[in-house]
Amino acid sequence: MRTGKTKVNDISRGGDEPLLEISSQDGMPRPSDQLLTIRPLTDEQRNRFEHSLDGISALGIPKPKSKGEEDKLVQSFLSGLRKLPSPDDNWTFWQPLVYSLESCVRCQTCSDACPIYLASGKQEIYRPTYRGEVLRRIIEKYIRAGGKISSWLTGEEMDLTWPVVARLAELAYRCTLCRRCAQWCPLGVDNALISRETRKPFSQELGIAPKELHDLGTAQQLRKGSPTGMTPLALRDNIELIEEELEEITGRKIEIPIDKEGAEILLLNNAGDFLSWPENTEAFAIILDALGISWTLSSDLAGYDSVNYGVWYDDVQLARIVVRHAEIAKKLKVRKIVVGECGHAHKTLLVIADRILTGELNIPRESALPWLEDAVCNGKIQLDPSKNDFPVTLHDPCSLVRLMGIVEPQRRILRKICPQFREMEPHGVENYCCGGGSGFAIMSARNFPDWKMTIAGRMKFKQVLDAFQDVKDPETKKYVCAPCSNCKGQLRDLLSYYQAREKYSIFYGGLAELIVNAMVDLEKPFIQWEWH
Amino acid sequence: MGGIVLFFFYGSILFCVIASVVRITKYVRAPLHLRWELYRGSSVYELPDWWKESPGRFGEKLTGAVLDILFLREFYHRNRSFWYFLFLFHTGFYLLFLWHIWLFITAVILPVESAGSGGLVFGHVATGLSLIGGSGILIKRIFDEELKVYYPRTHYLKWLLILLILAAGFLAVVFHFDSNMPDLLRYVKVQVTFQDLEHKLHPALAPASHVFFVSFWLLYLPFSHIPQIFFRYYQHLRWDDVPNRKGSAIERKVKEHLNRPINWSAPHIQPGKRWEEVIREVKDL
Repeated sequence: MRTGKTKVNDISRGGDEPLLEISSQDGMPRPSDQLLTIRPLTDEQRNRFEHSLDGISALGIPKPKSKGEEDKLVQSFLSGLRKLPSPDDNWTFWQPLVYSLESCVRCQTCSDACPIYLASGKQEIYRPTYRGEVLRRIIEKYIRAGGKISSWLTGEEMDLTWPVVARLAELAYRCTLCRRCAQWCPLGVDNALISRETRKPFSQELGIAPKELHDLGTAQQLRKGSPTGMTPLALRDNIELIEEELEEITGRKIEIPIDKEGAEILLLNNAGDFLSWPENTEAFAIILDALGISWTLSSDLAGYDSVNYGVWYDDVQLARIVVRHAEIAKKLKVRKIVVGECGHAHKTLLVIADRILTGELNIPRESALPWLEDAVCNGKIQLDPSKNDFPVTLHDPCSLVRLMGIVEPQRRILRKICPQFREMEPHGVENYCCGGGSGFAIMSARNFPDWKMTIAGRMKFKQVLDAFQDVKDPETKKYVCAPCSNCKGQLRDLLSYYQAREKYSIFYGGLAELIVNAMVDLEKPFIQWEWH
Repeated sequence: MGGIVLFFFYGSILFCVIASVVRITKYVRAPLHLRWELYRGSSVYELPDWWKESPGRFGEKLTGAVLDILFLREFYHRNRSFWYFLFLFHTGFYLLFLWHIWLFITAVILPVESAGSGGLVFGHVATGLSLIGGSGILIKRIFDEELKVYYPRTHYLKWLLILLILAAGFLAVVFHFDSNMPDLLRYVKVQVTFQDLEHKLHPALAPASHVFFVSFWLLYLPFSHIPQIFFRYYQHLRWDDVPNRKGSAIERKVKEHLNRPINWSAPHIQPGKRWEEVIREVKDL
């Protein structure tokens, strides 16, 4: 790894040469003896895609073919950038963004909070304040009145050229938006929001966003129903299969209602669960059946997938999916929407959507976790904790915990039903991101997955290993509970990458599965210790 | 020269007030934004039917704000080595603020001859704390590798100015007023009550230097981080758990925003239409 301090102005350096070349295993000590490598881009990829930030291409931005094209892109970026500090164009986040841009005192307290900065061996370009500093200097010079003179006077001049724009686009996707830095900042400056807002002009003005988030993400969800590509018909087929499995598990028929008008709740689950982790849906069905709650799924477009990738890069797509979810709930005449185990869907629908939905669309929305807690801790279902007598640790999804304050229900459940429950350190609102936040869990093009595993997810894997330090023996099966589909996706890749299942028998799964596994009514263990 | 100092001083006060009002007005008029919260612990979302809960956390927020401002708690927990000097400086600064209020009130309403040395000790302690803290901050900003990162060079000048203000004030009290409180209070009385214009137009060098540096600082103050306090604790930046209820002022504001035209121009957005229209149209995606 190239060391030596990168300066803010280095981002405007001309040419293709990356500011940083990550090519070996330096940085934070490795969490295991696994060899950490980040594959360089192929020659063909290097010729086609922008990679001059750190040799990684997350977005696959095609290189402009001419100076004219470069200039056009720069002007388009500038046009979008002008809208960021405008209360009219950017009313959605103007206040916290402007506050964050204007209030940083450069104490760098946030740097020690960032798992990416730490895991990279404190590489300057990953410092939480670096991208904010770049953005601030560009805004000061090109957008504020008299900016050119004041930038020159303060020595904070920065030329806006295509290399800056291309690097900034990639840099905005080297932050998981976990907002640990914001939690750490003594002044409440939110550098993660700055990352998110940096993504915005690229998406909302230039139409540049990771394919997995936009074309295959929000656009596909609105067009086909889900970023997984699952259509309403496929959903019904899937649910049929899940119902068959439920019958096998419980010995009786448990119906998963779809499009049941007038139900008490519309359960919004992540469609990834139906496909990759059907046991989570099965567990929810068993619990809701045991509680006798009137519930339904929706088979409407986007109604069977709680995800909303817009929250990570684009306000318009964010609002479109929020409105779509609310319209579906209204159409089904449910009393409220309950969000299943999906962190960002929680944050989006319960917190952010509260300033989007009005009138009849402002349908009550709540988390499934208090329901599960009520069922477990108030004795509404019979449980035998000895059925869960294996080491369990809890991963705190940032969206659930730090970003919306759902901290205790999941812990009270685990303390009640898992005799060998142990916390990761740190945990709760001070947790570390799984490394898959802000869309990273589903972004897998070119060499980005290597970066995601070795840098973004490194701290989380270390935490997982540390939590099971006393039971490393591979004979003992261990369970990382992650009540979030996105985090489960990242944990699946992370544990595979570090061969944690083979070496330490570390498995992962949701919270509902552990509850059902402890249910007295079920004769056979619900958790099968199979790798998904 | 005295006239310039006088004009500069009162002009800087006027400028500071107007510019601060303009800046604070900008924050107060900020549009309602999407909720982007951050929590230190459990929130109402841990409860079923959370929207029925009354947030009622004004007292808690206010207490938090006061404790943060007085003790810089976040720095204490997250950046202890920097906190020591920050805390000394800010404590001294707050005490100096109180000391000036005490000076103004005492000079005007109490017989100045009866002033004892307690006030003098108070002022010296406050100035000493600020000087030690301010010097420590400046030294750390110069030599600490982390604290140097991206720190604008103009901010080094800011600290120099603050130290000059403190030193000039201290020297004026000790040498010009000879640490004599009645003399100092008589001088302050003249300033505050606008008596004896001749005296004002021909100030002595030591107090004039102090006032001159303060005037510079007042010009800078509205652009500093201090007015940001309003922004942080005001207007829904954190812990805004007030739900958007039907028929509420929040809902009215949201509707107003959704009625605004959208100007972003990526292919998946139709610029010129209203937000309300755009977010309901998905056919061209």
